[in-house]
Amino acid sequence: MKNKFIIATIMASMLFSCTKLDEPVDSAITGEQADQLFGGSNSAPPDISALLEGAYLSTRTPYQDQSRVWAATEHTTDEVIGPTRGGDWDDNGVWRVLHSHQWDADHAFLADTYRDLGRIVFATTDLLKFNPTPAQAAEARFLRAFAMFTILDGWDQVPYREVDGTLDQLPNIRRGTEAADYIMSELNEILPNLPDGPAHKANKDAARTLMMKLYLNKGVYADRANPSFAASDMEAVITLADQIINSGKYDLTDNFFDNFAPKNDQLSKENIWTAENRGGSSSGGVRFHWFAMLHYNNNPSGWNGFTTLSDFYDKFEESDTRRGMEYPGVTNVSGLRVGFLEGQQYNQNGVALKDRRGNNLAFTREVKLKETENNLEITGIRVVKYPVDYNNGDNVDNDFVYFRFPDVLLMKAEALLRTNRAAEALPIVNSIRTKRGASALATITLDVLLDERGRELYYEGWRRNDLIRFGKFLDAWQEKAPSGPERLLFPIPNRSLAANPNLVQNPGY
Amino acid sequence: MTVALPRWLRGLPVLLLSLILAYSLQAQERNVTGKVTDAKDGSPIAGATVTVKGSSRAVSTDADGTFTLTNVPATARTLVITSVGFSSQEVSITDGEIFVAMQASDAALNEVVIVGYGTSRKSDLTGSVASVKAKDFNKGVVTAPDQLLQGKVAGVQILSNSGAPGAATTVRIRGNASIRSGNQPLYVIDGVALDGRTARPGINAGGVGAIPGSNPLNFINNNDILSMEVLKDASAAAIYGSRGSNGVIIITTRKGAAGGQKVDVNASVGVSSMMRHLEVLDANEYRAALQKYGLESGDYGSSVDAMDEITRTALTQNYSVGVSGGNENGKYRISASYLNQEGIILKSDFKKYTAGINGSFKFLESRKLGLDFNVTVGHNTENTAPISNDAGFTGSIVGQALQWNPTHPLRHSGPNGGDSLWRIPQFGSTSINPLVMSAAWDDISNTTNVLAYVAPSYNLAKGLDYRFLFSVNHQVSTRKNQVRSYLNLENIEDRGLANVANGSLTTTQATHTLNYMTDLSDDFTLTALGGYEYMKFRYSGSSIFGQDFADVSTPYYNYLQYTTQGSRQIGSWDQTSELQSFFGRVILNYKDRYLFTGTYRADGSSKFGKNNKYGYFPSLALAWNIHNEEFMGNQSVFNQLKLRASWGKTGNQEFPAFASQETYVAGQQSFNRSTLENPDLKWETSTTINIGLDFAIAKNRLYGSIDYFDKKTSDILFDRDLADPVPVGSASTWVNLPGKILNSGVEAMLNYLVIKNSNFSWDVGVNATWLKNKITGFGQLVIPTGGLSGQGISGTTIQRFVDNKPLNVYYLREYRGINREGQAELVDDGASFFYLGDPNPDFLLGFTTNLSYKKFNLEISMNGAFGHQVYNNTANTVLPINNLGTRNIAKSLLDLNPQEALSSPITASSRYMEAGDYMKLTNATLSYNLGGFGRVVKSSTLFLTGQNLFVITGFSGFDPEVNVDKNVAGRPSFGIEYIPYPTARNIIFGLNFSF
Repeated sequence: MKNKFIIATIMASMLFSCTKLDEPVDSAITGEQADQLFGGSNSAPPDISALLEGAYLSTRTPYQDQSRVWAATEHTTDEVIGPTRGGDWDDNGVWRVLHSHQWDADHAFLADTYRDLGRIVFATTDLLKFNPTPAQAAEARFLRAFAMFTILDGWDQVPYREVDGTLDQLPNIRRGTEAADYIMSELNEILPNLPDGPAHKANKDAARTLMMKLYLNKGVYADRANPSFAASDMEAVITLADQIINSGKYDLTDNFFDNFAPKNDQLSKENIWTAENRGGSSSGGVRFHWFAMLHYNNNPSGWNGFTTLSDFYDKFEESDTRRGMEYPGVTNVSGLRVGFLEGQQYNQNGVALKDRRGNNLAFTREVKLKETENNLEITGIRVVKYPVDYNNGDNVDNDFVYFRFPDVLLMKAEALLRTNRAAEALPIVNSIRTKRGASALATITLDVLLDERGRELYYEGWRRNDLIRFGKFLDAWQEKAPSGPERLLFPIPNRSLAANPNLVQNPGY
Repeated sequence: MTVALPRWLRGLPVLLLSLILAYSLQAQERNVTGKVTDAKDGSPIAGATVTVKGSSRAVSTDADGTFTLTNVPATARTLVITSVGFSSQEVSITDGEIFVAMQASDAALNEVVIVGYGTSRKSDLTGSVASVKAKDFNKGVVTAPDQLLQGKVAGVQILSNSGAPGAATTVRIRGNASIRSGNQPLYVIDGVALDGRTARPGINAGGVGAIPGSNPLNFINNNDILSMEVLKDASAAAIYGSRGSNGVIIITTRKGAAGGQKVDVNASVGVSSMMRHLEVLDANEYRAALQKYGLESGDYGSSVDAMDEITRTALTQNYSVGVSGGNENGKYRISASYLNQEGIILKSDFKKYTAGINGSFKFLESRKLGLDFNVTVGHNTENTAPISNDAGFTGSIVGQALQWNPTHPLRHSGPNGGDSLWRIPQFGSTSINPLVMSAAWDDISNTTNVLAYVAPSYNLAKGLDYRFLFSVNHQVSTRKNQVRSYLNLENIEDRGLANVANGSLTTTQATHTLNYMTDLSDDFTLTALGGYEYMKFRYSGSSIFGQDFADVSTPYYNYLQYTTQGSRQIGSWDQTSELQSFFGRVILNYKDRYLFTGTYRADGSSKFGKNNKYGYFPSLALAWNIHNEEFMGNQSVFNQLKLRASWGKTGNQEFPAFASQETYVAGQQSFNRSTLENPDLKWETSTTINIGLDFAIAKNRLYGSIDYFDKKTSDILFDRDLADPVPVGSASTWVNLPGKILNSGVEAMLNYLVIKNSNFSWDVGVNATWLKNKITGFGQLVIPTGGLSGQGISGTTIQRFVDNKPLNVYYLREYRGINREGQAELVDDGASFFYLGDPNPDFLLGFTTNLSYKKFNLEISMNGAFGHQVYNNTANTVLPINNLGTRNIAKSLLDLNPQEALSSPITASSRYMEAGDYMKLTNATLSYNLGGFGRVVKSSTLFLTGQNLFVITGFSGFDPEVNVDKNVAGRPSFGIEYIPYPTARNIIFGLNFSF
């Protein structure tokens, strides 16, 4: 008995002698495994489609969420206001400071936007080290170029690591013109390897459209306060536009809102580049385009948030279909119209809706940054640009639209106008206007063109870029005083500054 | 070993049975009976050991102090009586009953306390160790043992994360030392160190939010616990190395004692109700308020109290039985318990079943070979109510009930005269009827825990003992949850959701220790300990989530295959880490006057980066028993005077597995980089200095201790933001931050026996703690946390970790009052933020008193915390004035002058930061000692306990003793209240008896 115990004890001791403490990674994969999986080996060909899919998905949050790029590019303009409604939408003042141009370097949404755009840059750079095919590399590099363009446009400072760089290395920074030139060189390099379509993949025309944006804004990135527009750059815009126009692939869609509807991948003739949302299975956050706007007692029941301003609303003629209309699959279901919603709202049976306190649900023209009256639930004209998808729950089918054909046309018109060819610009603008049910213009000026861009591209994330290029971003407008020149850029988030000493805070912050 | 162990266990029942049989086969000579009492007040001493001198015959005294020794040889002349806390005594065996009055040893100096990997006489301690015995535990409905200590130990703060039965607690020993979630102490049960997590998996409850976690100690039967020791300073905790930084709580379970077979039975039944109500308007007040504000709508004609509808008077039953016995060669204890606790909110309850057996045996003629073993099985079934930490604007059930318009019916008459629930209220389609919420919700967890150890030991030479402990603690949990599609919650309505998840947590431990004790000379004793320990922690699990169910009554979680493909979420994980340690301790005692303790532990963890595989944790301590000095021989003031000083380092390694490695995590057909390799990642180190004084005066009637501590935590673990661009899914990497977290304070403990005579005694105990806490060396780094929830407050954080401020300092707009327009006015129109207050108490107070009169005993415990602020997120976003006309509001809003306008914004500000000071009557127990009945029942006690009888506070929420988890990206918040499960007041009636 005694010996048995002692032997057992000694055996036990030996079984538990020293371990090397190598940590097994059982439910994630290690860097080494990733190298094998994506780097390929003699036995298996490399397959990085999973990483490329991850890169595409990484664009969803920054571009399709109401609190990221869309907030930065729309709430800061005369198109959108996020009023505080008593007990609702205070959100620590994040919406108010965007509209009134009082944001600071701790602004949570701006900081998250900067980080999330960087995530696209990371994912698209990371996959390049795994020997992608030229076509895969071109897609990834296009996504990266687009994210870098958005960072450049908002913050001027674009951090990056080389393909073989590691996460613990501090990223270097490209600024202003240097960044614009880099993005342009990338686009030129990858253009031959990009596919022709479909719209929800990085494609040649998407690259051309982005190049147009870079040429058009080149002077902005050199000097945002006093941009100049070189004739050669404008010529490049026109050349690129003509390549897209002459491809014959695009035309103006008969129903303006078809471009944003569920199944817009089939309905739209205009969409050049989109983010694919698969109805019922996998989608980004584009549904905020109705949820964030609609009242609780609308169908669908919304979050009763953002509105537009009456001055912007008044830029539309009554006959302009872009201002709003009934839309099949929406109005017959719930009574809801699409476009701009002003005044009394009805359900599908024509019964007038009420707000939660029993007052008529009639959206008012007046709206304040901080509502102080008892009608605070119903203030402001609402905008629903993406027709509601009633069939797919959370995962709506509406593809998110980045680039549309009319933008290409309007950029061409702008380039013509900026090189004193108004006569050539006017018919382009009028071709859009007549298609939309608006009257044809007799003359065109830069101010008129800016308004037309607003009418066509409202809520699509271009207003801030346009207002800066047209020199109007610092002006006063409804619920906003004139702002200082530092507002032409967003501040580098304090969080990012702390993590990377290569970043320098933008002037004025 | 994994093969060898079952073979051993197979032999054990046989062994056990033969020992029990052997015990009853003794030759008969004569019986000796008697009673052991405390000389101080004549009260009976239970559990004293009565031994026949010169033989191994021994028994323990019963609860009433009586004992019976059977079969005492005629030649025996003397009994030796020993009991913890008393000087041992010898008495002659006489005819008839033998009465023994025991003298207390010096202020319980000879009391044995458990320390890491061994025991120590209390008088030999050099570190700061608080010991709480079972008789001093909190009584009443207690699901997990940490709550037994609440208010009992200086320097220990215990907060409920939720009032739900079985919910986890926040335990802070000597303040907050980490800016990550790993702030809980290490729990060790009979030498088995616990993982600290629970296997109960989390679920995705859609818009309902994150449900608070369960207490990882839920599997323990509290009646099995003999004592709990809290190791507070480095001298005590450094032997636990990289897991000792937050303090260590050692739980020692009851064992059999030599003597007769003994059966203890505890039975209690209780009722629970809400301790404190949150003041909202009733229907008439609501109508008056509508009128006052000139609102024409909002009155729906009824009169209901929704909070009353979702709460109930809940029943609790608790039964436990323990059978123990043994002789000098073998002791055993078998126990079982059943707890069935209903929660005060509908559809919440907690059931616990436990069974355990432990034994301790000596083998061989020399009795040099020993074997201890223990197997405890615990099973819990939890039904959890829909109450979350971060419910959005539609609220969880408590928020929904508080917000419910009191003039709107909750039910409408059904077609057949029956009632049916009013599904969508007229005051807003997004408002939710809390009864519909309750009906639509099920969240059921089943958790089973098996804790087993076997520990053979061998006396290798005089004073030299070898012990090997092998343990397995295996916990599995399954959780099923559904939200029915008729609930009008976004993404739930017409869809429904269900979760099925399971988790498994296995901790394996093997510990070898060598203990050596010798007298180096007549005055010099040496006690030495050396050991090696290996631990393996494995946490794995899987989960399935789906939506879009057919509208049939079958529980959704039972046919997840029906769900739509796009709604499904599937995940599985497995994380393993290992810990390998070498440790040693030397205790030198010179003439019982000068004591030295040195400990050292080397911990290697697989979680650490490859350049830092081992951490080293030394401690040194000295103590001086001044009262044993010759020059103290003639004084009569001090019965004890002891000075202690210690220095040492402890660690914290509570960060996730793989944190030091480069990993990619899987998404659907995609991989994303998750963590970055950090070969230098290591433990957090706390360096603690402790200086203490123990004293006893007035013939031990007044005794206590004072400790000063200073704890500096460096190499702070944190998942720091990486420089952009960063990977999707993780934007951070685990690093050891520069800077330090400082905690310092004074703890005082005082006990005073006010009155004692033969019928009446009264003693009072007070413990007090003064705490300070601060971050230094952080530079410009600012880490926000404390994310608020509810309507209109997205993205608002109110606490920070920032240089030169206490942890979780509030960073807020400053509220000035309601202006003439009725708008809440903020300093600088809300554009500026200020550091205003912090949630860490400056002062903790515990108070206990015992009054005995003849057979009655009254024990009262109170505890409180002072000098801190609680943020009332409930008042901020659930019950603001803006609700009037649709939903309910806080009653206090009507007292404001000037009157607050309906449009006044709810901006987070110091308006909702309230003084958190409170004093709570946590426990009052009145008991009556019925004594024995006939020959069968040896002792019995009836008791009536009230728990949480009242709280004195200015705080306007349910309970100021609150900590709802409002972390931001894993960075913990502290002291924020948000529509929590309300605290219950319990009244329990019970009976304990033994035979």
